[in-house]
Amino acid sequence: MFFGYLDAGSGSLILQAILGGAAGILVAFKAWKARLTGKRALAEAEAESEVDEPAVPSES
Amino acid sequence: MHRADPGSFRDPASHVVFEGDRVLRLLDQRGLDGWNALSNTKFFERATGDGRLIESKLVDSPDGGSAAALEHPKVPFISYPYEWTFSMLKDAALLQLDLLAEALADGITIKDATPFNIQFVDGRPVFIDIGSFEEYAAGEPWIGYRQFTRQFLFPLMLRAEAGVPFQPWLRGNPEGPTAGDVRRLLGFWQRLKPANLMHVSLQARMEERMSGAAVRNELKTAGFSADLILANVKKLRKLVDGFTWSGSGEGWIEYQSCTHVGRDRESKGAFLRQALDTHRPGRVLDMGANDGHFSKLAAESGAVAIAVDGDEPVLDALYRQGSRVSIVLTDLTNPSPSQGWAGEERPGLIARAQPDLVVAYGLIHHLIYTASIPPPAVIEWLAGLGCPVVVEFVAAEDEMVAKLTANKMEAELHPGRTQSDFETLVAPHFETLATESLGNGTRALYSLQPR
Repeated sequence: MFFGYLDAGSGSLILQAILGGAAGILVAFKAWKARLTGKRALAEAEAESEVDEPAVPSES
Repeated sequence: MHRADPGSFRDPASHVVFEGDRVLRLLDQRGLDGWNALSNTKFFERATGDGRLIESKLVDSPDGGSAAALEHPKVPFISYPYEWTFSMLKDAALLQLDLLAEALADGITIKDATPFNIQFVDGRPVFIDIGSFEEYAAGEPWIGYRQFTRQFLFPLMLRAEAGVPFQPWLRGNPEGPTAGDVRRLLGFWQRLKPANLMHVSLQARMEERMSGAAVRNELKTAGFSADLILANVKKLRKLVDGFTWSGSGEGWIEYQSCTHVGRDRESKGAFLRQALDTHRPGRVLDMGANDGHFSKLAAESGAVAIAVDGDEPVLDALYRQGSRVSIVLTDLTNPSPSQGWAGEERPGLIARAQPDLVVAYGLIHHLIYTASIPPPAVIEWLAGLGCPVVVEFVAAEDEMVAKLTANKMEAELHPGRTQSDFETLVAPHFETLATESLGNGTRALYSLQPR
């Protein structure tokens, strides 16, 4: 399935897991954690590429 | 040749067109996949059988660009959530939740959650957007949750908990109030109720903090399941079902029981029946319908009767009686306009009603004396409706008019208010088919035919 024409709202999507009860709170926590981990990994990758940049020879 | 429904274009998978009197839903491949999944379920059979889902049949596609087409019966009159009473929106919300829960049990989901997908037919809510159903994919959340809160839950909550009418909010912005709007509108103690803390305050906060974040895959990986949607839906159903609003004490409910509204009912009814016999209208627009007495008479004659009034308590009572008439809550001095995308998505009330007969009992003196509409403008407005009109004239000597003008000076009233003025104003536009004087002579009925 792919997302519909409707903007579901990211916060509302996470919230509905919490609204699903105890099992849902765990799901929301895991999703939240995965998001933070993903963001950290992305930030690290970006920082690394910035460091690498001067080593790339210019073509001009 | 077919004509597109101006209110059906947002979903690329499915949209409605009209071919004469036929209503066709054109589907692309994704829409067809959704239909194939839905139509094979017990849920579909049951919900169509008991009238909660509109009937649908697969027909030949009228154009080459669609994967398939469905035909639906025509809804006699389309009304919008900002024209509904509290109980109507509440029943629509319960239907939306019930259908989602039952569909999910059969592996189907509803991809949106808007009351524009629900219409009232013979006084009952019917879900009309078959294109909203599609196969549920494991791990996916309920895409329509936020829309459900904005267009169903929050409007009902505003009325039930804060006493704020939802119709102006939905008319002003059909997307509905945001969680942040509702948080600001609720009182301190109302905000602290557990359900409100979650659906309102927490949602507002999370929406602010996570705007634009991609969370779908994270939810799926974390183990999101349909059971979580069902648990949420079950609690939402209980919350919505518990909302109450009593309009008693407001508006006309007390007024009608103790004054003249019931007076002359028999004479007015007989006069209307005569007009119904003469014109045999398909659609009757009862303007200033009050408790719907005359709309019901029109409906008994076989017409589609549309009861329009600006008083929510009386219309809500009419709806709760299980009346078959179509109900429209709107102020006739400011009727629902044409609005939405390109100003055409949701046509205005008069364009939608297209009446064959208009009933205006107990109305025009309120327009003239309360709303200060000049008498010639009132008559021109009636003539502009382009159909026969059954109208009640009320003279300045009438006790009701005396009350309406108690705090107005003669110079503050428009001229042209006598019965003779009325007949002069009417003459260029209408031929008078019948007239009858009522009760104590301060009121008169006219059956008018456009020239």
